[in-house]
Amino acid sequence: MTKSCFLHFAVLLALLLGAVPPTPAQEKESRIVVVVDMVQLNVAVTDNKGNYVTGLKPQDFAVTEDGIAERIATFGEGNEPARSLLDAADAQSLAGDKLQPARQASQEAPESFASAISGANVYVLFDTSNYMYRHFVYAQDAIADFVRALEPANKIALYSYSRDLSRAATLTADRSQVLRGVRATVAGDDAALYNALLLTVKDAARQTGRKVVVVFSNGPDNASTVPPEDVAELGQSSGVSIYMISTQQARLDPLSTAVFERMTAATGGKAYFARNWTDQEKAFASIRDDLAHLYSISYYPRPNPNRGWRTISVKLVGEHLKKYHIRTRNGYRPQPVRPSVENASASGPQSAPQ
Amino acid sequence: MRVCRCARSFLLAACACFVALPAWATVTQQAKTVLPEEATITIPGPLRSFLRMAGISQQVSPGQVLPALARNVVTLGYSRWQDRPGPPTEFMVLLIRYLQQARELTRLAGADGAIRVSGCDQATPLLHVLGYRFRRGCGTPLETANSERAFLTIDAGFPLVDLEDDLHAGKPFTYSFPGSRVPILFQETDWTSIRGVRTRSLLDALLEDPALSRLYAALAHLDPETGLALKQSVGLGRLIPVSAALDFYGSRIEIRSGRVMVPGGIPAQSSWKELAGASPTSPGSFVLRLMSKDQGWLAAYFDVLSRTTPARQAYFTEPHRLRRFYAALRGRDSSPDAYRREFRPNATLLLLVTQLPLGPTGLPQVPGNLEVWKEIFRQKNNAKAAGSLAKHVARWQSSDQLMEALFAASRVELGSGPLQMYLVLSELDAQRSPGRRLSPPTVRLLANHFEEFSDQYLIFSEFPDLNNASVTRFLTVAESLDRIHDQTLRGNAMGIFESNVGLWQIFARQGEIPKSSLNSSWQQVTGPFVKISSAAQLFDAGRVSLRELMKAATGKSACSQDQIIELLAGPPQSSPDAGRVHEAVAKTLRSDLDGQRLVSLDTILALGQELDAAAKSGAQTVTLPLAGELREFEMPRPIFTRGERTKWATGVYNNDHTDLEMRTDLSKLLKSHPSPERLAAARGELAPFLRDSLVGLNYAYYEPPGAQILHYNPLFVRSHDFSGETVSGLPSMWKTPQLFGVGSPAGGGAHLVGSLANVPYVLAEAEEDFIAPGNVQALIWKETVSVLLADAVLSRWWNISRNELHAVALYQEAGEELLVAAENNQQLRQEIIEIFSGRMAPGRLARVETALQTGDTAGARQLIMPADSFYLEAEFRQKFPQESASSGRAGRELQVLASRHPADTNWNRLSHDFGVLHPMLAESYDRELLNLSPFPPCEGYGSRLLAESWDSNNLYWARLADEMGYSPVMLNQLVPLLTRRMVENIFASDADDWPALLRALRQTGQEFRQGKMASLPPKSTISQVAEPSPAKKSPN
Repeated sequence: MTKSCFLHFAVLLALLLGAVPPTPAQEKESRIVVVVDMVQLNVAVTDNKGNYVTGLKPQDFAVTEDGIAERIATFGEGNEPARSLLDAADAQSLAGDKLQPARQASQEAPESFASAISGANVYVLFDTSNYMYRHFVYAQDAIADFVRALEPANKIALYSYSRDLSRAATLTADRSQVLRGVRATVAGDDAALYNALLLTVKDAARQTGRKVVVVFSNGPDNASTVPPEDVAELGQSSGVSIYMISTQQARLDPLSTAVFERMTAATGGKAYFARNWTDQEKAFASIRDDLAHLYSISYYPRPNPNRGWRTISVKLVGEHLKKYHIRTRNGYRPQPVRPSVENASASGPQSAPQ
Repeated sequence: MRVCRCARSFLLAACACFVALPAWATVTQQAKTVLPEEATITIPGPLRSFLRMAGISQQVSPGQVLPALARNVVTLGYSRWQDRPGPPTEFMVLLIRYLQQARELTRLAGADGAIRVSGCDQATPLLHVLGYRFRRGCGTPLETANSERAFLTIDAGFPLVDLEDDLHAGKPFTYSFPGSRVPILFQETDWTSIRGVRTRSLLDALLEDPALSRLYAALAHLDPETGLALKQSVGLGRLIPVSAALDFYGSRIEIRSGRVMVPGGIPAQSSWKELAGASPTSPGSFVLRLMSKDQGWLAAYFDVLSRTTPARQAYFTEPHRLRRFYAALRGRDSSPDAYRREFRPNATLLLLVTQLPLGPTGLPQVPGNLEVWKEIFRQKNNAKAAGSLAKHVARWQSSDQLMEALFAASRVELGSGPLQMYLVLSELDAQRSPGRRLSPPTVRLLANHFEEFSDQYLIFSEFPDLNNASVTRFLTVAESLDRIHDQTLRGNAMGIFESNVGLWQIFARQGEIPKSSLNSSWQQVTGPFVKISSAAQLFDAGRVSLRELMKAATGKSACSQDQIIELLAGPPQSSPDAGRVHEAVAKTLRSDLDGQRLVSLDTILALGQELDAAAKSGAQTVTLPLAGELREFEMPRPIFTRGERTKWATGVYNNDHTDLEMRTDLSKLLKSHPSPERLAAARGELAPFLRDSLVGLNYAYYEPPGAQILHYNPLFVRSHDFSGETVSGLPSMWKTPQLFGVGSPAGGGAHLVGSLANVPYVLAEAEEDFIAPGNVQALIWKETVSVLLADAVLSRWWNISRNELHAVALYQEAGEELLVAAENNQQLRQEIIEIFSGRMAPGRLARVETALQTGDTAGARQLIMPADSFYLEAEFRQKFPQESASSGRAGRELQVLASRHPADTNWNRLSHDFGVLHPMLAESYDRELLNLSPFPPCEGYGSRLLAESWDSNNLYWARLADEMGYSPVMLNQLVPLLTRRMVENIFASDADDWPALLRALRQTGQEFRQGKMASLPPKSTISQVAEPSPAKKSPN
């Protein structure tokens, strides 16, 4: 069922878009070509005490984009596979945003899409700069614990950074490979957190299904050339939630604290500041819980002329649900089309993400 | 809190200053008649671990280990205090601790060198040494028990996860932990018996004593015969006081048959004897004197003269000149010395001697005439540079006296002094035909404005057809723009002007502006900016200039963004393959502009036109939606409040330019029924947008491989500060831009401050760290990678014939065939060595010779760069044409190709099409093969000169493309991809490690040939070479 649905959808969209030759006016309007893929949301629903609310149904959610009501295309909870809520007719009626066909739907084999959405793709980004020197081995132990504790359904990649990014272990379900990546990291040099995070989010964005980046860092950045705003926007636009795990030491740097809290909130993630690196249990449990309880909701945007920032609103329908809180990203900016070469994270055989 | 340990990993990519290749490294067999048997020492533990801790590339051969270690001890082992070594750095502390840990582990290992643990009980001693413990009893995960030890365990790459897994599974753990034997120079006792050395272990002695390490590093890159001669005639102990000078300036010393080979040869021998106070026929005394005299300046003089061509050597070493020039260089005071800094000083001296243009008479060319240079030296600051020689300027009668003053000036470090002027202007003049030389007034003008505008002069060396009037016009306009009082207007004016000049440069380089109209188009493009006093005038000037530019390139003054993109993407292509490549390049350009979310040039120009019409007619005819497009840009969603930015990014965050644009609301103005005058002035509000779109086109053209800022920071182009709004204290805004805002998270991202001069390099500098190195511990090699990336985007291949591409491959293959043939042919070997002596240091040359003598052709090939083999064949064909005919398959094929298509195989043409840029080394953006050996890192330049002297990339990529059947035009896509992959593969140990470039190049070639590279463009129609091509061998 899922298979035929996505196949039809892709074909219909392609036909629809291909059938209408652009007029000069349209050409002018679409000078900046953007891609609006299926928009995917990780949604946490909690009560007043912070407990996760489970068992909600698709009809309990109302999603709007710039005030336009959107129809949910896929829905899933926790690690269960997401299920499609659309059929071919729906696909036709959801002509979608005319700016571009839904790349994800047209390029992904349906089976792989269904299987990929089960479990999350977790990218761990480890700060190995000079700022972490004194705490390096303790942070490694913490990451090793985090990796061991994640549900088997999740796939994990281990990246580290100082001035440059190192893809120590590409996305895999093999925990041992990731642990080897953790223990192979080397400490030293400047810190370019936001450069590295940008590349990591880009790699994560290429995956189907839920994707999160978990950063282990004490915060400071003295070498990045991109600002955190650009990284946060990319995370929001590509549906990648960012989590930050740090220590109270980062609290001493108000700039880092501000970025950690705001960037994670904007992308639907969270920031944690434990007493020290050996005391991260609470953070790990919280992220594990998040991954196990997040609702995965996606939709294909209805026609929307806005080429700038689009505000997403997710609400619960029904009086009895209004008491609960929702945490998800609050919008996205359609991304320009980029040449395939630019999109490749690395040109070599070993470092390309899986 | 920041803990600075001068990270060892940093070493692998970017610091240090010493020699790369020891003379004896990787030589499979030494010249047995001369040298004693190779001695070795044992380093505790696996070599891999030691290399990690010592900051040495994992790719070095065992023979390279100790020289690399010695170098790192010198550069990173000890802090410095008033030029003297101070306490050990964190790097050294960790290295020493590691060796202690490795010795403890060695004791735990059995006789066979393996550490064995059969279960948890036996694991306790091992875990203690490693600094770990079980978290909750046997088999549970390990956690840090002793952070100091644990750090060493991890940093050295101990297989902790294997140990953990085996203990968890109840399996025995075995880890081979043998000592590693590495070759050393001479015998260990030769070093440990030196007076003052307190240990019997050479390894420990090197770690403890930076002076000893420096001597080791210095001797390691001499050729073996010379090293041995020095040891025997002087003794290692007596060489320690001159180790620093020997390290910087000793690599060209060559002792043969009991005599030091001096620059200038036998005729210059007596002059050198006089200068050094010892005869070259007494090598020990001569070298000691040479190194110690005048605090290293005579050694520096000897070194630079040894590096230049025979023709230049003949000029400089004429006895009278040799003495006079040295006296000028030395001056009255030899302080500061020539060797105690981290990098060798006086790069300009090196450039002067190696790049000096000589005229047909063998004398230096003097741009303008001698009178102009007298005037230049009479100016106050310049006179200071020449010291006492400046007093005699009036009496100058020949270029020798000018040269003498330039030698004196090389000791005074002035970025825009007379020596720098001479280097730039002589290069600029040397490219011109006799009838088009720079006139004395032009030289005077260029010199007078050198301090402000010198970085802009590279365009005149790239286009020697630009005449004196064109040069003068540029300076007139630049000066006029520089005088604009209003800073915003000035910034916009400089941005638009420089962008249009930048586009002209690209179109001219790509042959889209015919050579015959270079001067007229230059005048038309620059002319409109002569007088700018308002934003409206500026907009008009920018618009007119752009139309003139299009007219020069297309014959029509119509101008659209797509047309410009098409031109930037390269000349029109007729074949489908080439058309596809052209379209792919254009697509990338559009993607960059989209990433920056810039207003389309079409919108800006259309609005300008409509405002003109409305102002003239008095009717409001401007399309409101068009005006609305100016307001489409949204700032990135803010993370910081305004107050936080003020607090955390004072002086960094400044988006006045973008803020001004966002406040611009032409729609509102148009709705308010403005007067014709107001409407006419309103087009001035378009000037900032015009600037951004034009600057964006320039940035997009030079987008380095792997760039991210251009795609993800939409403020990057808009934030380019042309007028110093964001930074004060810069001497001139016409200089190469500098990168500001790096590592300032609240600052809105890095941006450029300055002009568009050298923008390919600076963009590469900004973007290079987004390339992820493929080797653990490797980092991006700063200046070197910037040069490689800039080269990869600036070189384009639209008009290369298939024969030409094939010829480049054949030259390299034929060069390698000569090496193979030399194994059994002594005469040929001598001829090859003679040719190589022009571009190889004696150390490397000796290794090549030894390898050839001993039949180790594979070893010899490993020492040869693609440019070496290319040059070898080219020189060989010229010097020994009769022997070329009897060479191997590639040589014969080349012979046939050359006879049928001489133009396609001509050195000058291949040099122009497959050469590299040398903006610092040769003051030019023209592509050229300069035939140089790798330059050493120098103060003020870092590894940049080394990178510019590396001219193998394009030759090798072309050979690969030819072998794999790609058409020449595909190089436009392949070269950026291959270069990016090469950068990922670079694993260097220090700033002089050019062999790391060779390894990365070859590794990339292997991956390419084996189809292992992702993102390759589809192979187009198989290249059809003009001549039948027999089965080819794979390149190395």
